[in-house]
Amino acid sequence: MATLQDPIEMAAPAFSGPRWRSLRKVIRANGLHALLLPLMLLWISPLVWIVVTSLKSRTEVFDPNAGFLPAVLNFSNYPAALAVAPFGTYMLNSILATGGILLGELITITLAAYAFARLNFPGKNILFTLFLLQIMFPIYATFITNFLTVRELGLVNSLPALVVPFIASGYGTFMLRQAFRQVPTELADAARLDGCGHFGILWHVYLPLVKPTLIAFSIIAVVTHWNDYMWPLLVTNSEQVRTLPIGLGLLAKSDSGADWTRLMAATVVVVSPLLLFFVVFQRRFVDSFMHAGLK
Amino acid sequence: MAEVVLQGVSKSYAGRPTVHAVDLAIADKEFMVLVGPSGCGKSTTLRMIAGLEDITSGRLLIDGREVTHAEPQKRDIAMVFQSYALYPHMTAYRNMAFGLLKTSRLSKEEIDQRIREAAEILHITHLLDRKPNALSGGERQRVAIGRALVRQPKVFLFDEPLSNLDAKLRTHMRGELKRLHKELGLTVIYVTHDQIEAMTLGTRVAILSQGRLQQVGAPMDLYMRPANTFVATFIGSPEMSLLRCALKPNGEGSLVHHAAFDTRVPERLEASEILLGVRPEEVIVGAADAPAMARGVVERTELIGSEALAEIRLGEDRIVARTPVMSAPPAGAEVGLNFDMARVRLFDAATGSAMPRL
Repeated sequence: MATLQDPIEMAAPAFSGPRWRSLRKVIRANGLHALLLPLMLLWISPLVWIVVTSLKSRTEVFDPNAGFLPAVLNFSNYPAALAVAPFGTYMLNSILATGGILLGELITITLAAYAFARLNFPGKNILFTLFLLQIMFPIYATFITNFLTVRELGLVNSLPALVVPFIASGYGTFMLRQAFRQVPTELADAARLDGCGHFGILWHVYLPLVKPTLIAFSIIAVVTHWNDYMWPLLVTNSEQVRTLPIGLGLLAKSDSGADWTRLMAATVVVVSPLLLFFVVFQRRFVDSFMHAGLK
Repeated sequence: MAEVVLQGVSKSYAGRPTVHAVDLAIADKEFMVLVGPSGCGKSTTLRMIAGLEDITSGRLLIDGREVTHAEPQKRDIAMVFQSYALYPHMTAYRNMAFGLLKTSRLSKEEIDQRIREAAEILHITHLLDRKPNALSGGERQRVAIGRALVRQPKVFLFDEPLSNLDAKLRTHMRGELKRLHKELGLTVIYVTHDQIEAMTLGTRVAILSQGRLQQVGAPMDLYMRPANTFVATFIGSPEMSLLRCALKPNGEGSLVHHAAFDTRVPERLEASEILLGVRPEEVIVGAADAPAMARGVVERTELIGSEALAEIRLGEDRIVARTPVMSAPPAGAEVGLNFDMARVRLFDAATGSAMPRL
């Protein structure tokens, strides 16, 4: 006797055969990739566009009939771009300035964050509020006072001028203070019994445990200062101390209008060290952001 | 010799006292347990001994040397924490070696030998290469104890080290700690809120409440002769029942009057009101029609396997009696009660202090 369930039972095999099953498996396994792939293409498209343009000829860039890809790979934009300004010096200056800032920041934020997280001293809360306030100020709001200070110190047009205003970071201190507060106090107690003072506790216990946060902060700091344009423009006026973004600016502001192919070639040169750095340490960076709770 | 002496040790936070003038002497090779409810000041006292908290007033001597304000590493102590406090980024071996590397002048070979010996004693040799997150709770506890052992300190401090373990493992580790104390002749100060741990581990137990030392003594001494109602009700499970009674002199002794019974005690006591302290095993439950000191009604009976606990209403009060399972009275039953009057305790109702018994 036929029941209501029969049609369902009969229909089921049509969608549960081996072919359907394997298709479902493929969709399930690659569903996330299918979703992420267009997003990835969207994110990477400016970079692809930069690379492609850097390999085109000047006329090709503005030719509406030219295809997306260059007809002939034109590598000559690279030496031409690098000839406009001493990019080698700029690169060295960028590395020194960014490295100097990062080193200074890591030292100051570590000490300040430890003090805010674990020490008790009068005025601690007011001081910490001031640090938080500093995060809320747009960096450009402090440019004039910073410039005046740097000028008073006689540092204008020198590498220290690029570094000194940034060696303390309210954001970094806040981020690291939060990470330090996650470390159980009993670990610090155990380290005290094991013969450590404050620096010993910091070095042997706290810093190894907040490595992901340190890496995450370092990435943010490096990217920010590597790409900084305004401050170096303000405090430098000679080629010996300029950084890569200023060099890019020179290309963009040529009297004859922007030379897009050379500009793009120079852009590739500027971003390559960061990209290379990211590709090499990709896994570690992603892990750090996951651990530091940052996205 | 590793005697620890606390002389009027007090602790205040922002002018508010949390530990009041504790006087306590812990003898060499003694297992002293500090026990009390949460917030009683036992952990603060231990942390003051460790040097992790400043001593507001009083003196602390370890091995005859005053260390009241000495840095923790200069006190020759080692501590095992409730959360084990193992460094997560170091292997078990490195965790055990770290303190020795920082505080001793031992060679690497000597450090290695000490670690291997401690690992052998604690059966953790096979775990030395693992990091804490690859160890179970019990294994972490052993590594934490190992870290203390390798230091070969004068005094071992334990801050509720078993509270994160499950019941079975806790019992096992209790046995292990007892074995270590006996075999290695350690001087131990051990903090717990668990009276079973206190009673089974301690050679002596110090009971604290609200920052004050209530009583110090051998576990059975505390059980049999509590100094006040706090100790009487804190030690023992189920706790001692306290019955408020009026007291009148009667010849050589005193007459004790309760709403549900009258009885005599041989002591002539001055107080007009007392608390009669009766432990569950000192209540003899009989049939309602049998001759008895008092009559009560069973409110509920709990069968806990080997025995039963009956809560009995006695006038306005409630009293807990321990009975064999087979003769446990059902709820609602009227029963006759006799107390083992030679063993019951008498407390001054006004002060809560124990009154001397003959």
